[in-house]
Amino acid sequence: MIIKFERLEVISKKEFEMIDITPKVDEFVARSGVREGMVLVTTAHTTSSLVVTEGVECLERDVPEHLERLAPKNPPDGRYGWYHNRYLDFDGRLGYNAGDHLKSILGGIQCFFPIDGGRVIRGSRQCIYFVEYDGPLARTILLQVIGQ
Amino acid sequence: MKGGIDIHVHPLLVREMIARYPELARACHETYHCGNAFQPIETMLNEMDLAGIDRAVLLPIDATSSRGTTIYSNEQIVEVCRMSNRLVGFASVDPHQPSAPDQLARAIRELGLRGLKLDPGIQEFDADDRMMYPIYERAAELGIPILFHAGMSWEPGSRLKRCHPLKFEDVAADFPQLKIVLAHLCWPWVTDAVALALKYKNVYLDTSALFFDNPNDFLRYAMTQQVPLTVFERSLRHQIVFGSNNPRIEIKSMARAVRSLGFSQECLDLIFRVNAETLLGEAG
Repeated sequence: MIIKFERLEVISKKEFEMIDITPKVDEFVARSGVREGMVLVTTAHTTSSLVVTEGVECLERDVPEHLERLAPKNPPDGRYGWYHNRYLDFDGRLGYNAGDHLKSILGGIQCFFPIDGGRVIRGSRQCIYFVEYDGPLARTILLQVIGQ
Repeated sequence: MKGGIDIHVHPLLVREMIARYPELARACHETYHCGNAFQPIETMLNEMDLAGIDRAVLLPIDATSSRGTTIYSNEQIVEVCRMSNRLVGFASVDPHQPSAPDQLARAIRELGLRGLKLDPGIQEFDADDRMMYPIYERAAELGIPILFHAGMSWEPGSRLKRCHPLKFEDVAADFPQLKIVLAHLCWPWVTDAVALALKYKNVYLDTSALFFDNPNDFLRYAMTQQVPLTVFERSLRHQIVFGSNNPRIEIKSMARAVRSLGFSQECLDLIFRVNAETLLGEAG
């Protein structure tokens, strides 16, 4: 049985951004020596997601924009808005990202794929994306492989 | 509009500096009372890009006598500024040390820093104490601005009464050649701060005010309800400067909030760029 773990850092440059990490995951699995097993990919943050979709530029715009419609940074006027959009005195910093936390919940924080013959088995259109909702920031992605 | 200047940034979360000086993490958390989420300098520059900000003024606090620490020394500020030509450094001196005026002169002339940052709350002094006057005289001689923390102070141990805007009136009156910036709109005493700025043309106010809610809601309250926006636009447009107070507040969020208030484009250019250039002695 082989279990290996790594942290992968990505640096987002925009507020909303989809970053294709598929080659990084493939490379991690290849280095691990696992021939049969599975790989688990997790974002270490609560204002980002890990999603799987087709690797095309148009979807890289549509996915975060759709989630922004569902959970906007600034809710419509006339309501009290998100409770978390406030200065967090216990943290000494602004927490102005309630909508981004909610987008993270909607998008999910993990994905996993089977490994067969030492390769990650995905559908031909499937790519693994880190999705930033509150950039630009340096972000950590947790990679773990388990198998033999 | 050309890119702007953020006059109020504390480089507390710069990961490269924490790696070199681990004690900065403790000063950030225990003295400055700010949660730690260290980021590479690249992140700050990326956020400035997103916010339409070309340059940021980095501020240290020398609290050696009052807290036994510096929240960045002058030399460390210079070190961060070397990471990018978009960063401008201010100095700080310990006001309780008699050598403070000479230390200030060295920081400006030898280290190349461009202004002085003082925090009456953390550094435990009264701005109108005559003990401070040699520092003000030296700053005036050097032709540099002083940026004072003013108004609300979160840090444990700091006293709000030291940060009331009227504590700065003697400085403004006795040193008319000295440009002083009162940070955070002196909230909650915005009306007092505005009175001071209306009377003394060497008094500037920075926008880095946020103590509840979020930048949009807070600035709308402070700059349209506490004092009408027209007062800032018509009477104080040459004395308001953009400041974010990063990392307490994201540069992108504060910039959006200021731009959403309803200022004219001309006034926004003054707030985001021209007035800061004047403070830095760059105005043509």
